[in-house]
Formats: sequence, C-alpha cells, structure tokens
Amino acid sequence: MVQAGSKKSQITRINSKTGINSLIIFVVLLLAWIAGFSSRLFAVIRFESIIHEFDPWFNYRATAYMVKHGFYNFLNWFDERAWYPLGRIVGGTVYPGLMITSGSIHYVLHLLNINVHIRDICVFLAPIFSGLTAISTYFLTKELWSAGAGLFAACFIAIVPGYISRSVAGSYDNEGIAIFALQFTYFLWIKSVKTGSVFWAVAAALSYFYMVSAWGGYVFIINLIPLHVFVLLLMGRFSNRLFTSYTTFYILGLICSMQIPFVGFQPIRTSEHMAASGVFALLFAVATLKYLQSILSKSEFKSLVIFGGLVSAGIVFLTVVGLTYAGYVAPWSGRFYSLWDTGYAKIHIPIIASVSEHQPTTWFSFFFDLHILVATFPAGLWYCIKNVNDERVFVILYALSAVYFAGVMVRLMLTLTPVVCILSGVAFSGLLELFLREDDTPRNEDSEDEDQSPPNSRRLYDKAVAGRVPKMKHEQNKESDGIGPNIRSIVTVVIMLLLMLFAVHCTWVTSNAYSSPSIVLASYSSDGSRQILDDFREAYFWLSQNTADDARVMSWWDYGYQIAGMANRTTLVDNNTWNNSHIALVGKAMSSNETAAYEIMTALDVDYVLVIFGGVIGYSGDDINKFLWMVRIAEGEHPKDIRESDYFTEHGEFRVDAEGAPTLLNSLMYKLSYYRFGELKLDYRTPAGFDRTRNAVIGNKDFQLTYLEEAYTTEHWLVRIYRVKKPDEFNRPRIPVANRVVKSQNFVSKKSSKRKKGTIKNKPVIVKGKRLSTKQV
Amino acid sequence: MYKFLFILVSVWFVNCAEQVNQQLINRNVERTIDLTSQLVKITTTITLENTGKESVRTFLVVVEPDNVGNLSYISVKDTLKEELKLSATKVENRPNQMFSVQLKQPLAAGRSNVVTLETVITKGLVPYPSSISQKEKQLVRYFGNHYFYSPYLTTKQTTSVTLSSRSPENYTKLKPVAQSDSTLTYGPYNDIPAYSQDPMIVHYENNSPFLTVTRLERLIEISHWGNIAVEENIEILHTGAKLKGSFSRYDYQRDSSSSHHSIKSYRTILPAAAYNIYYRDSNGNISTSQVRTRKDWIELELRPRFPLFGGWRSSYTLGYSVPSYQYLFRRTGASYVLNMRLLDHVFDDMHVEELETKIVLPVGVRDVVISPPYEMERLTDQLSYKYLDNMGRAVITLRKTNLVEQHIQDVEIVYNWSTLMLLHEPALLATALYILFIFVIIYVRLDFSIHKPDHSKKE
Repeated sequence: MVQAGSKKSQITRINSKTGINSLIIFVVLLLAWIAGFSSRLFAVIRFESIIHEFDPWFNYRATAYMVKHGFYNFLNWFDERAWYPLGRIVGGTVYPGLMITSGSIHYVLHLLNINVHIRDICVFLAPIFSGLTAISTYFLTKELWSAGAGLFAACFIAIVPGYISRSVAGSYDNEGIAIFALQFTYFLWIKSVKTGSVFWAVAAALSYFYMVSAWGGYVFIINLIPLHVFVLLLMGRFSNRLFTSYTTFYILGLICSMQIPFVGFQPIRTSEHMAASGVFALLFAVATLKYLQSILSKSEFKSLVIFGGLVSAGIVFLTVVGLTYAGYVAPWSGRFYSLWDTGYAKIHIPIIASVSEHQPTTWFSFFFDLHILVATFPAGLWYCIKNVNDERVFVILYALSAVYFAGVMVRLMLTLTPVVCILSGVAFSGLLELFLREDDTPRNEDSEDEDQSPPNSRRLYDKAVAGRVPKMKHEQNKESDGIGPNIRSIVTVVIMLLLMLFAVHCTWVTSNAYSSPSIVLASYSSDGSRQILDDFREAYFWLSQNTADDARVMSWWDYGYQIAGMANRTTLVDNNTWNNSHIALVGKAMSSNETAAYEIMTALDVDYVLVIFGGVIGYSGDDINKFLWMVRIAEGEHPKDIRESDYFTEHGEFRVDAEGAPTLLNSLMYKLSYYRFGELKLDYRTPAGFDRTRNAVIGNKDFQLTYLEEAYTTEHWLVRIYRVKKPDEFNRPRIPVANRVVKSQNFVSKKSSKRKKGTIKNKPVIVKGKRLSTKQV
Repeated sequence: MYKFLFILVSVWFVNCAEQVNQQLINRNVERTIDLTSQLVKITTTITLENTGKESVRTFLVVVEPDNVGNLSYISVKDTLKEELKLSATKVENRPNQMFSVQLKQPLAAGRSNVVTLETVITKGLVPYPSSISQKEKQLVRYFGNHYFYSPYLTTKQTTSVTLSSRSPENYTKLKPVAQSDSTLTYGPYNDIPAYSQDPMIVHYENNSPFLTVTRLERLIEISHWGNIAVEENIEILHTGAKLKGSFSRYDYQRDSSSSHHSIKSYRTILPAAAYNIYYRDSNGNISTSQVRTRKDWIELELRPRFPLFGGWRSSYTLGYSVPSYQYLFRRTGASYVLNMRLLDHVFDDMHVEELETKIVLPVGVRDVVISPPYEMERLTDQLSYKYLDNMGRAVITLRKTNLVEQHIQDVEIVYNWSTLMLLHEPALLATALYILFIFVIIYVRLDFSIHKPDHSKKE
C-alpha cells in the first residue's frame, strides 16, 4: 500500500507504471473485501445462517413482507401485530433503505432464476457492504491524502472491530449499509468541493438520499457538511466551487430527503436540521457580499457589511426563535439533548438510558474496538492540520465531532471508526513514506511492489504476515538519504509488528465478542464439547405452532421483534419504543401483584405472558435483572401505583432471597420467573431454588398462580410462557348450567305494600317428627 | 403393473356390479388385531372353500362400514406370499365398499384355499378420556367387530387382539373370551352368517406415539450431474389425548419414565447413501438431532424443538442428497428411467394424512411416462426455474391421502433426455460473459463524451 502511495509521486515520471499501479490497487481492495467478508462469517460457520439479536429480526420481517407483497404495500403496511391494540404504521416509521437494498438484490437474483432465500440475502448483506465501505473509504482517503493512505484505510476499515461489531453476517441492521452510504457521501462531497462541479454535488446529494433512506444517522451528515462549509467561511476560504457544491447539494439533498415517509417535513421543521439551512443562507449572504465588494467602494462596503450583517443576523435569529415558539420548528428532541448532557437521559427518559448501547463509552472500549488505530489517528490528524486545505478541514471536523459523540454513547463508536481508519491510514502512509522511501532505480522498486503489496493486503490474515516479516526486514536494508538504514529497518519492523498485532486483535475480538447471534447460546462443557442452548427458538416456535393465530403475547419490549419475527404473534410492545406510556403499562403489569396485573392484562386482552429467566443456567440478561428498568419506566407514568423504593430492601439492596422487599417477592415478574423453581434442585451442593444468576436462594418459594397457568417452559427454563386464564377458569371450575345442582333462580320478593314482613330465602321448613331439610325449588 | 389398487373417492371407478357367489364359504378364519401402535393392523388368515359345482376364480373382500374412510391399506396374499390382484367392485343391493380378489389358480369345486388378508386402519383408536393432564396415562378405545365381516358364511373363526398393556380397563365379553398377558382371544365362534356385526370395544392404555403427519411435501430434484436432492416439508400433529391444564417443565424433567404419552423424539430412516442431511424449520436449524450410520441405512434421531403433547403440532424440513447412480438408469439411447420412493420413512408406524410428491425433472425432458405403484392423483404439471434456467424444468406433482408404512414404494418415471442439455447452462453463461466483455471492450475503446475535456485525466 505504501509502495503504491509512494509510487504516486513517481507516476508522473513513469507513466508506464499506471497499469501495475492500478493492478496493485485493485488486488489490495479485492483482498480487503474478501478479508472483510470472511472475517464476518464466524457466526455463520459456528452456528448457521441466521438473523441475530433484536432489531435485525424486525428488519428481516419487514424485508420479507416487502418481497412478498411489493414495495407499495410495504409503504402502506399497517402492522396490527405490533403494539396491540394500537398497531404500528410500519411504512411511515421505518428507514426503508435497508429493505429496498436487499429486496432489489433479491429481485435481480430471481430474474436470473437464482432462487436465494431472502433470509440469506439479509444475513450476508452487511458483510458484502463492508467491502463497498472499504472501497469508498479508499476513494475518500485518496481524495484527502494519497492512494497509499487510501489502501491502508481500506484495509483498516475492512477488519476494524468497531465497524465489524455492527456488520457481522446476520446482523441485518441499518448501520450495515449506512456506513457505506456515509463514506460514499463524504467522498462525493469532497470530490465536489474539490472540483466545484455540479455533477459531483448531485452525486453527493443522491448518495445522501440513500443514506437518509437507510439510517437516522444522516443527521450527522447534514450537520457535518454545513459545519465544514461554515468553518471554511470562517477561515476565509470561500470560493465559487464551495458555493456551487453546497447550494446544489443542500437543495437537492433537502428535497430528496423529504421523500422518505419517515423523515417527511423534519428537514425544514426540526432544530436538528436548522444549521444546514442557516449555513445555506449564510453562504448566499457571503456570496452577495463578495459580489458587492467587487462593485462597491471600500467605505460603502464596510458600512453595508456592518449594517446588513447585523440586520440579517437579527432577522434570521428572530425567525428561528419565532418559528420555534409558534410550533413550526420543533425544538431539540430528547434524544438529541442526551448527546450533550450524558445525565439527561437517566433523569428524563429512562427508556433510552435502559439500553446498554446508549451508555457513555469507557476508555477500554476505545482500545477494544480500535486497538492501535486509537493511538495513531491523532498523528494522522496532526498531519492533516499541518497540511491543511479545503478537504482536510472536513476530515478534521469529522474527527473532532465523531470523537465527541463516540465518547457520549457506545453506539456512536460506529461513526468514529471510519474517520479513525482514514486518519490512521494517513499516519501510517506518512510514516512509511518517510522510512521506506527508496532511491533505487525504478526497476528495483517495481519488483518490490509486486513482492510487498500482497503481504500488506494479507495483513488481514494474521498468519500470512507472520511469515513475511523477516523478508521485509531483509529488503529494507537499503540505504537512502537522511535516515540511517538501521533506524529505517527498525521502524519498519515495528510498524509491521504493530499492524500484525492489530490484525490478530481484530480477528480475536470479532471471533469472541461480536460473533454471537444471541438467540442461540453455546456453552462448553468440561471436556470441550459444545452444547447449544436453543431455548429462544424453542419457545418462539412453540408459540408459532401451538397458540391461536391471533394470540396476544405480553413480554418486555426487548423481545417484541423476536416474537413477531419468529413466532409471528401479536405483541404489546417491541423494540421500536415509540410509545412510552404503553411500555410503562406493561412495566406496571410486570411489577404489580398478580391481581392488579390481571386487571391490566384483561384490559389489554393478553393471552400469553412471556418472561426470560436465566436462573437455571446462569444467563445474566434475563428479566429479573432488567426488572428495575421496568419499575422505573412504570413509575415514570404511574407514580402513584409503582414506587421504585418499594422494590429495595431497607438497606437499599435489590435482592431476590428471603430478605428481599415483599413488593418484589409478590410482583408478577418475580412469580412468573420463579414459579415452581423453589422445588427444583439444580445439583447436590446447592439447596432447592438456588438462582445461579443472582447466587441466592429465592425468597418466595411456595406459591400458586391464580390468574395464570404455565403454558410452556423451555428445556433450560430460559423462556417461560404463561397463559392468562379467562375469568371463568380461576378460583373454581365453571359448571355448565345443565349440571348445576343448585339452579339459579330469579328471586321475586314477596314483600308488598301490605306484607311488610320479609321472608328468608331457603329457610328450613320444620315439620315435627321429620328431619330438617332445606326447601328447594 | 399395479400391485395393489386403492380407492380414493372411487365413485367413477365402480361400474361393474357383481353377484356374491353363495357357493363360497369361509371354512376357518383367524384374525389378529394388532393394537400396540397408533394404527390398527388386522391380519386375517382365511380358509376359503368352494362348496359349489363350478370352479371359482374370484372372491370378495368387504370393508366394514365403520372403516370405509379410514382404510389405508389392503392386500391379499396367497400361501406362497404372493400378492393377489385386487380390484374395487360393487355388489347389487349392498352399499359396502368391496374388493374383488383374483385367485392365481381357479378354486375347483370342493377344494379349499388359504389366503391372508392384511388391512391397516388409521384413526381406529380413539383417546378416551379425550383430554388428560400431563401426569395421566393415555387410554384409548378401539371399536371393532367381534366377527369377521364377510359376504360369505363363516364356519369357524377366532380373533386375537394384541394390546400394549397387560391390564385393559375394559373390553366387551362375547363368550368365549380369554385374556392372557396383553392378548385377548375371542372365539371360536361358529357358523356366523354373512355381513354379521357385533360391536367389540376394548379400552386400554396405549402410550405409543400418536403422531400424525398431517401434510408431507416431498420434493425430488434430479440432476444429471450425478445428484438427486430430496427435501421433505413435514407437518406433524400429536393426535392422542389432548393435554389438559398446564404443562409443567418441572414435572416433565422429574418424570424420567420412557413410556409417556408425550413425544420427545423419533427415528427417521434415510437411504444409506444419503449425504448433506439438514433438519431445519422456519426459524433455522434444529440443533437437536443425531445421525447414526447403520450398515444398510442411515438412522436419524430427530427431536422436535419441544416435546409434543396431545393436540400440539410442529413442522420441519428434512433434506438430503443421494447419488443418482442408485436411482437413475439409462435404458436405451436417450431414454432414462428413475426409480425413486414416492414416500419415505418418517417414523415407525407412521400415518400420513396427505402426501404431495413433486418430482423436478432436468431441463429439456420429453415423453415422460409415470408408473406409480398405486393409484395417485396427478395434479397439473408445473415449470420450475433453477439457477440461470431459461427453459423451465418440468415438475410432476402426485398427491394421495391416508398413507402408512406399506405405501413406501418406488415410482417409475421414464423420460427421454439428450445428454447435450448438460452443456446448456455453461454455454449460456459463457455467451452472456462474452457479450458483456464485448460491450466493455467497445465502451473502453470509444469516446462517448460530448466534448473533449480540456485537461487530461487526473493521475
């Protein structure tokens, strides 16, 4: 890669090398694609081709619906199987880019009669797009720095764990294609700023349109590009190229983005998008001034700038404030605030705070996800700052803002990763350009190129590199000016070792941390054999086969998408957490006692209740561990009925054993999780009813359920499904009218205005000499 | 070619009304009713005697009125265990479903002959009580006939009923009757007139799996590259006593007895050469299965995702490939013959309610002739398109209801096919790539821009 980079300067000298140069680029990019693709297949090889986790199940279900019913029916899809009884307008509340992408791949393949199941397309979409991301990263970096840095960046992004975490095979989520769209839009934007051509600006707007259709993260683009323009204006770098590209991009991008039903009028009505239009206006103002400057005298111009500037700034500001107050422009949304104040969500929106990926990032995870890149990317940033130009301003802003956002939320690590790869590519390219510069004859270099580029690209395969390193050392023993050969070779070897370690780390992280489908769990017994815990699918399949088609299943929202996707049953709440009060109602049912919960459940027509219980196998992500979030969310809407403090002991502890708070021990969630668990003895060392997840013997062992009955429990007790009894089923069995001994009767009072004396119903009739008997009708 | 004939809804089939030959009598009838599984298997050994003057070529077998819809399989064999030809027929003034059996040699006057009648009846065992709790045992009732149902006079007959439990709850006691272990013996009864019926009821414990395949779609894809792919989409339903009340995993785990009315797993037998076996459902691979290679077959132990209780259903897909040389043969020139099972083993004593077998023939076959082993409904042929096909493949669909193990037989399909068709798709692909490259070459060589760029291309 470096060779290709250093070669770039020589291309002017030797034109005949263009062929070999592009061959190297092509081979490196192809290998990066293959490496990126194959390192994402751990889960497929270990388990199977299956959709992972939670959100991908919805995306998959929506895609399957679109493939089956067509695009327009998909846009008009009202899903009555979610958010019972409210339903969900799916077409208007979803970013359709992902579904359209895989749907069109499916369509093309079926035109060729290649009958691939839509599930397999969905599973492999993200790995395939990782290759496209690598290529667009290459182009972006090439525009910013050099082709060599581009190849580095492409190889980095192909395997960096920060991106793999969102794009392994089976993780069928918006981010998988959005990062490609993000990088590609940035590339086209840079290109259009560089050339000032309408063509590239239009291309950037179209790519932005694709990004808008794919992911809510498009807001990042529509704020970063105006920021870039703004900073360029501040730096006095206004040019007609900038004017052309931004105005074209903004207007086209705005109109295009409003075509997405979910986005609609947001780009002109919400505060998040206002910066873009403000910069648009500013750009016109600056352009006008520049024009006036050319025709007015200096003093006229000065007073005009001062007066006009003040007035127009005031007007713009007042307009925005006025529109916001009048309700035309929505103020910042809660999620947006949580980006500025990390404590905001915890206080105001517990449902956002309850998701682990919305937590602030730890230092550890920076290193875990980026490894050496986290150390080298400031160097790249420094290179860019030192040799600043229009497009490098962009990458500097990109880096700074992404670092901030990645620090706020674990999830936004994803937006940081590409820029880290770009800047690290720049850094490594710069380093190697310095230490690897050859002053030999072109022929020598030519052969070296061929030798080295494959190992560089194969750095992705950790083992392949290990064998090559000594060779590299040997080869670098050539002298050049400035730096001695020893230092040169030492630095080169150290860099190679670092890169090798990086590749090893990436593979290890991918294999161990990011390749679990999470709906299939694997455990290893002492003899090394693998045991698969397939309880989730067992339960979902049971639901799909053995319950009525319109049965309504109540569960915590985490499992909503999976129930809809795998069991095809109606859910009350799901991972699209659009209605907080409905979730709070479910949370209230889970945290109340059985009688109160039964009232809520009958009001919501619940047929089955599904809980996740990890106490038997020690699975920590179960519902009891999430229980406090349910309580908190319920308390937010029903502060009179649910109080978080009731669920803690006097010492403020959350315990499930005998010392636990009585409210907790009698809550529905507790009972459903531990029903008949008190009798179960897991092994000889522990007493009956020992919860392995919380390492405690449960406090409320012997209880019966009045309003529910166990319908199914999976093999390892991981998923427990209860059926809600109908009112005539509990307390006493219903006897058909025909079989009743005591027939009900219409009691007619014999009291009249004359006879004031009342009678006693079924009064024993006493006849002398006979046994006492009740009178029966 | 038909070894047996079977009636589906044979209204149009009955055209020849016969007379009952009163000269024939059943000298001795020994019936064995096997009630140990979910099926009712009746084996009857009949000693036929011709008391008339003329020799007799055919005799009649009657289906009991109660079993008309449930009779799955019927066959008659002679003493040499050879199949006798059966054909559906009708007798004047009798509404009964009848079969006329053709004897190999005419039965001369005064002579007798021994034949074995084998019938399999599905849905003959009714769970009683119809719903039980998890801990209870499954009891079923069998409704039968004390007498052998025949158009002829029966001189002497005995019936033995084999049960799966040693202590039946209850059974009808038409004397003489005896019980020893798990066998009930009725008879001998003498001189029973034709068409006699006397209800026999046996109420006993039967914990054998009551598992019904409600629908089986079998897809056979033939490739002349040497591979036949088989895929079966199977829907199963536990047709025993329904589960009453709740299911308790705790009780289920504690109860380790093997004879339980719930179904944990069952065995499927596949051909010995099967490879690439997969077992999955709509949610993906079902990880609880084991493949054991036996000498002459492959045994697959399948565990559904969840234990099946009464009334619970499940569905799955089982697929495998077999090498084609064992099933596909070249006859002469371009004529090929395929011998493949129409239905394969799903589990022991299986009952398949509906079978649909689809056979996908290679691209470009002509003159297809199908010889099913028994009568089947042939649905309209379809075309299916596989990888890069531009000409479709013919799909033959055969359908039949109510099948049991005895129906596992080969279908023979003869067709003409030219070997050159093997090269059809490679040639197609090569042409497509060739055209693509030509276009690329033309595009690269020619300049399509409207005006010449002033600056040369950027390096």
